[in-house]
Amino acid sequence: MATYEVFLKKDGKDEFRHAGALDAANDELALVMARESYIRRAEGNKVWVVNRENLIVGDDDFVGPNADKPHRHHDGSAVAARRKAIREDGNDAAIREDKS
Amino acid sequence: MTSVPTEALREFLLAFADDEHLMGQQHTEWIGVAPFLEEDLALASIGQDELGHAVMLYELVCELDGVEPTDEAIDALAYGRGANEYRSCRLVEFATVDWAEALARHWIYDMVEGRRWSFLEGSSYQPLADAAVRASREESYHRRHAEALIDGLLADPTAQQRLAAAFASLMPMIGGLCASGPWEAEIVEAGIASAPTAAIVPELSRFITERFGVVLPGGFMDKPDPQTKNDRTQRSEDFAPLMARMREVLDIDLTATW
Repeated sequence: MATYEVFLKKDGKDEFRHAGALDAANDELALVMARESYIRRAEGNKVWVVNRENLIVGDDDFVGPNADKPHRHHDGSAVAARRKAIREDGNDAAIREDKS
Repeated sequence: MTSVPTEALREFLLAFADDEHLMGQQHTEWIGVAPFLEEDLALASIGQDELGHAVMLYELVCELDGVEPTDEAIDALAYGRGANEYRSCRLVEFATVDWAEALARHWIYDMVEGRRWSFLEGSSYQPLADAAVRASREESYHRRHAEALIDGLLADPTAQQRLAAAFASLMPMIGGLCASGPWEAEIVEAGIASAPTAAIVPELSRFITERFGVVLPGGFMDKPDPQTKNDRTQRSEDFAPLMARMREVLDIDLTATW
């Protein structure tokens, strides 16, 4: 038995999304089982199954160092805070400059 | 089509519908107890498809009988007839002892079922031709499931032995599944089916030899199963307990809904 990851895609512009995993003895059975385990209510129009052994996996240490870099989160909160401070100071020129 | 041979057509539809109904029931009984979760879902789901085929065929029987094909009318056909009014074959009534037998039966049944539907795709009886197109789409998947599973298991020596033993126990019942009922001559004559069910036998024998290395004994169609004599008007000993399980709720309360 091998573990397979199942991805489904609906018609249209949606991308393939991970649906879950299953155990199967070989590739053909994985595809057949995916149909029953994840598409029996036509949840997708296309299916990929990938043997987990064929995934290229980065470990936690490889991913971890990027966990403390809030400046890479583009939620706009730093800019918004700065603009609020300028607005409250009543410095119109500074605000115009900020917009340009 | 000049005229529909109504009596023969009714028997023909019931023979197929009852096979589909009982096979569907037997597959769905593996829900929750199959050896692993994925297969548990798969076999029960295939069973649901077979029950759906049975409903399509029972609807056609209702139409022949001039009865509105309501849920109640279909249930009456599916659960309400006397044992001698069923037209199932022994293979679908048979109480399998283990998973290997259930899988071998799944493989045999779907191989034959796919051919049975294919004989109806160009039927002169349009409602049956329409049903055949729908069922055939599902059947190609059922066969793919059965083939993949058997292929996988045949690669393992223990599984191979168990499947061979299962196959040997089912072999005497294959003739009954493939036998053409006495009504089929008229059915083929009227263009309702393109060939009698027994036309499947040479192809099936070849598939079985290729797959299991088992050669069906020559003339096996002429050595009928002793319980039913390959006569679809006869029930085997496993029919009554199977029907009792299916009717378990109805037998307690005829008006129950669930």
